[in-house]
Amino acid sequence: MDYFSEGLSRAVALLLALDPETFSAVWATAGVTALSLAVSLLLGLPLGFGLGYFRFRGRRAARLFVDWMLSLPTVVIGLIVYALLTTRGVLGEWGLLFTVPGMAIGLTILGLPIIISMTATAVESTDSRLTETVLSLGADRWQLLAATLSEARFAMALAAASAFGRIVSEVGIAMMVGGNIKWHTRTITTAIALETGRGEFAQGIALGIVLMLVALVVNLLVHLLRGAAGGAGGGGTSA
Amino acid sequence: MSAPQLYSLRGVAVSYGGAEALRVPELDIAPGAGLGLYGHNGSGKSTLLRVLGFLLAPAAGVLTFEGRRVDAAAMRHGHLLRRRAVLLGQDTCLLKRSVAANVAYGLKLRGEPFNGAAGEARIARALALAGLDYAAYARRSWRQLSGGEARRVALAARLALSPAALLLDEPTTGLDRASTEHVKAAARAARERGAALVVASHDLDWLRDCADTVLELKDGRIVGTLG
Repeated sequence: MDYFSEGLSRAVALLLALDPETFSAVWATAGVTALSLAVSLLLGLPLGFGLGYFRFRGRRAARLFVDWMLSLPTVVIGLIVYALLTTRGVLGEWGLLFTVPGMAIGLTILGLPIIISMTATAVESTDSRLTETVLSLGADRWQLLAATLSEARFAMALAAASAFGRIVSEVGIAMMVGGNIKWHTRTITTAIALETGRGEFAQGIALGIVLMLVALVVNLLVHLLRGAAGGAGGGGTSA
Repeated sequence: MSAPQLYSLRGVAVSYGGAEALRVPELDIAPGAGLGLYGHNGSGKSTLLRVLGFLLAPAAGVLTFEGRRVDAAAMRHGHLLRRRAVLLGQDTCLLKRSVAANVAYGLKLRGEPFNGAAGEARIARALALAGLDYAAYARRSWRQLSGGEARRVALAARLALSPAALLLDEPTTGLDRASTEHVKAAARAARERGAALVVASHDLDWLRDCADTVLELKDGRIVGTLG
């Protein structure tokens, strides 16, 4: 237990001293997470809304595809993105392998189906009475769409928080596509894996503390959003 | 020359899956009139209200509203009709917003003032008509309301719009006596302000209190007038 308590005290010291190597991994994580989450939201929110709101041919197949994407092993996503970005790959000319944008591509493939699926579910599960309520007050088609979007807002924010939690804690894709390059693509999770493998517990624990704090904040946010989005039928006036 | 009617229905029919759910050979509703619809479940009351509320297009017949024929072209802009004839249906819910925002929503859709002093005054008047105090209720969340309060907020949202026709489908089912009286008073107030009132209910006494004429419906047909 000595080595653990010693590692913990050294970890706290590293954090308090704002150790550059430790914080390099924190900033790399923040950058790649922000980039992939932004792209996931930009693409996923409208796609998820469309999937949940509109009835069109092939909708079930599209839903099945998204659900399948959700269950893809991250190591497979890493492998596919690696194959695409490697110098002999289709996107090899872009030179994105072992870069933050390259990692963001892989993590977007991880986050995008979460956003699409949860947004579609949120829209599908808006109160079934909403359409008639809004129409009876004089809404046109676009105002009905806007009302549905507004009613699903908490659940859509929950989707964003869930995708964030998944992206920030991912290790396989970050390792394979990012290459775990010090000062560059080394993220919190890949650094923890590396340092633990080398027996350097202090930095691993320090980064673990940061990741756990992030997870705590995300879970608090998710808890608050669940509360805000809950009870969709409440306040109803059905007789 | 006869007075212009708000609604005029001639041979209006509605079918669900091939089965005829409603047939109204002739019905006129004058501006400011009070009409009650009485009948058992499945008698066609709600279907008739949905036709009058322009949520359901008749499969046959001629429907005229405010002197204009409501045909397929008019139904394509049904929201303009629904802004004149508002329905408080059995399946009406509140938006996940405050009471004031729920009452203001219809005004917002119409581009009418819903905030500032003018908007607040209008919301306060509508809430008062439904027996709810603005100071006590305006900032409350939709979640903090009982079933009866939520129903009255939904009614206030419709009263705020000063519609030409107020259509109420079983407005007091599940409400206690006090809430029922508030809904009744609000319905009367809407009529005093010039709106035609069409109410569907199982409660014949309630209908007699609020309406000039009570029609009995059975199997989608008007089978008589109750005194």
